[in-house]
Amino acid sequence: MDILSNLLMPLLNLELLFLIGAGTFAGIYVGAIPGLSVTMAVSILISFTFSWEVYPALALMIGIYMGGVYGGSRTAILLNIPGAPSAIATALDGFPLAQQGRAGEAIGIVTVVSFIGGFIGIFALGAFAPLLSDFAIGFQPRDFMLLAIMGILLVGSLSGDSLVKGVFAGAFGIAIGAVGMDPLTIQDRFVFGIDELRGGISFVAVMIGLFGVSEALIQMHSIHSPAVRQRVAGIIPSWAKVRKHLPLGLQTSTIGTIVGALPGTGGDIAALMAYDHAKRVTRNPETPFGKGAVEGLVAPETANNAAVGGAFIPMMTLGIPGDAVTAIMIGALFIHGLNPGPMLMIEQPDMFWFIVGSLALANCFMLLFGLTGIRLFVKIVELPRTVLLPVIMVLSIVGAYAINNSLTDVYWMLGFGILGYFMRLYGYPLAPIILGVILSRLLDDNWRRAIISEREDFGAMMMGIFTSPLSLCLFLAVVMILVTNTPWWVRWRARKATGQTVAERQDHD
Amino acid sequence: MRNIVCGAIVALGLAAAPALAEYPERDIQGIIQWGAGGSTDTVSRSVTPHAEDILGAKVILQNVTGGVGAIGLNQAERADADGYTLLFGAENPLLYKVMGLGQKDYSDFVPINIIARGIPILVARPDAPFDTFPEMVEYITANPGEIRFGSTGPGGLPSVVTAMINEKTPLDVTAVPYDGDGPALTALQGGAIDVMPAVLGAALEPVRAGNLKAIAIFDTEGVEQLPDTPAITDTNPEFADILPWGPFFGIFVKAGTPDDVVAKLTDAYGQAAQNPDFLSMMDGRGFRMLSLTGTEAQDFLDTWQSQTAWILWDGEIAKNSPEDFDIPRP
Repeated sequence: MDILSNLLMPLLNLELLFLIGAGTFAGIYVGAIPGLSVTMAVSILISFTFSWEVYPALALMIGIYMGGVYGGSRTAILLNIPGAPSAIATALDGFPLAQQGRAGEAIGIVTVVSFIGGFIGIFALGAFAPLLSDFAIGFQPRDFMLLAIMGILLVGSLSGDSLVKGVFAGAFGIAIGAVGMDPLTIQDRFVFGIDELRGGISFVAVMIGLFGVSEALIQMHSIHSPAVRQRVAGIIPSWAKVRKHLPLGLQTSTIGTIVGALPGTGGDIAALMAYDHAKRVTRNPETPFGKGAVEGLVAPETANNAAVGGAFIPMMTLGIPGDAVTAIMIGALFIHGLNPGPMLMIEQPDMFWFIVGSLALANCFMLLFGLTGIRLFVKIVELPRTVLLPVIMVLSIVGAYAINNSLTDVYWMLGFGILGYFMRLYGYPLAPIILGVILSRLLDDNWRRAIISEREDFGAMMMGIFTSPLSLCLFLAVVMILVTNTPWWVRWRARKATGQTVAERQDHD
Repeated sequence: MRNIVCGAIVALGLAAAPALAEYPERDIQGIIQWGAGGSTDTVSRSVTPHAEDILGAKVILQNVTGGVGAIGLNQAERADADGYTLLFGAENPLLYKVMGLGQKDYSDFVPINIIARGIPILVARPDAPFDTFPEMVEYITANPGEIRFGSTGPGGLPSVVTAMINEKTPLDVTAVPYDGDGPALTALQGGAIDVMPAVLGAALEPVRAGNLKAIAIFDTEGVEQLPDTPAITDTNPEFADILPWGPFFGIFVKAGTPDDVVAKLTDAYGQAAQNPDFLSMMDGRGFRMLSLTGTEAQDFLDTWQSQTAWILWDGEIAKNSPEDFDIPRP
């Protein structure tokens, strides 16, 4: 009974209901603008809500968080500019749909599957939090290293036509991620004595430049051609369509929840892994991946919203943040006189159920605000390019400046924008660069931690991998991904299933 | 001609007027050296609203992170010495010179308030084969190289505490570096490392829940939050000459800021640091309040720097000798 009353508290209290709704609404727009991140919004809210009671403060933050993670998909689909790193994969298939005049349909399905993913993450939080946090905390440095290697292998899925160019882009990203002071040894790397480089290159600046500015430059080629007319019918997806993608959505939501629950990894990695998973398991997409496959929208968007619930799992059970936003929320709890930690759930279970309830409510608001107003939103793409492109440039500059209130980031952003423009002209995919930047630190730090832990004995580290069930599973997954991508395996598969595939192919062609 | 002169005098008067107006007449910018959600951030954001009430102006806080806090410090140092840019920092800048991280430290600033000090604590994973500091030393001596100590990189609290321990009892342990005490304590709970010298506030909750085992409070006296954990000097009195020691948080303005502005800020933050809500938050997080100002604060900084810099130099962790920067040996 207590649980139920705390769970329903945000719904029955008008003030909380309003705050969650307003937070979600604001979050969608914060998330949609590249550079304005949820992390930033939540840290500003800490000062803003200082004098409030703890429940209303949390309600507002939770709304922003939920709405913001979803909002990143908006600009990814409409403008090919991911509003947040977790929406990079969404742009790969979302923008082609917008170019076909199906932006409304894409946003519609994204909204519904985000809701589903979000709900699964919240359900996992409510039902299995202690179990999942035990699992997540058991990840050793070597497991994070294997996870990062799995992530690096996603380059294959994000490369488009040329794997070589994809690998080059990925390696370039890893190099960018290595710039700055190494936190483990406080040695400068690729800093050249320049103070501004000590903090590293902000990967959000890289992302805004590569996607935002380069997109604006590319579109200048066709500045006078008329914009694509957007279809406004069929925005709310049919039940049949949702059901068709539900099995995939459930799988990718699970990926999202687990990756979200791991301390140090969040929705960005979850979304990319889910995209890769979708590409692997979807045998015959209606439209090929990269050209507007609905599966390519379902996977990342379920995963990044499921990661929200996931990130709260270690926060609520152990006081350990699951990602950058929950790290700030833990700070907020401290400021409000609470001591988030393992005892919080035992001493103040009402707080736990309140958060579960607020997340669920924010998720519903997200569906509501997401589905209304799409018609108006898709008009953005129909704006003449002479209006749209300057707006993109202004947003990119504001966004880059807002990361750290520093002009340095703006210069980086512009530099990467021009670089991205030329890379696109020469057919280099850009998503692997971001993948490299995101995973660079994860791989580098954890490889070193794993080997330092064994006193730099490689054999002992491998023994560790083979004797731990979790490490072994991850290791086998890495091996399997590698093997299944070799030409020998592909040929062997083809020979084995010749009859079947030929028949299937004829069906489709 | 007279009109022009009069006009010029009036104009001068108008131009001078803002300088005569009472500080603060606009928003103050606050630079926090460390990221959102961390200890420095929490302390800064908790004390500032109380100071705002007294100052009658907004203090707009932003986190400028990176380079072990050097990027935020340099940004505050580049601003005008007019009291409109505050630096919220921790102990790290006092080690920049010896660690080769930069040429600027708190000697380029004036302390407004040294708010509080953290208390170091040695924690171990709950199933570690020892319960007390002497038992730990005995185990490590019997099993050299087996025990993994968490660290946060050279110059961080764990590296200083480990160097202090090594100075008294050399131990053969493997130091595994993490990005900060949060991730290292997570790894400790997951069993990836065995022991971690941490700040009390960060370890308090997992210790209370039994997810971590408290070995010793690395201070001259125990703490009320963990009454059963002995102070290290109870079991090993030889540590008494280098303790108490601990990380701290302070608020600074650039050197050269007018005295009346410094006085006003010192008063506002001094009062804010006495606010009961703030005190209970600090107590809950396991910090010891200092609220040092003026020469007291400066003495504290000097002593801290000389003590720590030499420990790191003697422990072969520092890159540059403290002598090069005229830091006297304690």
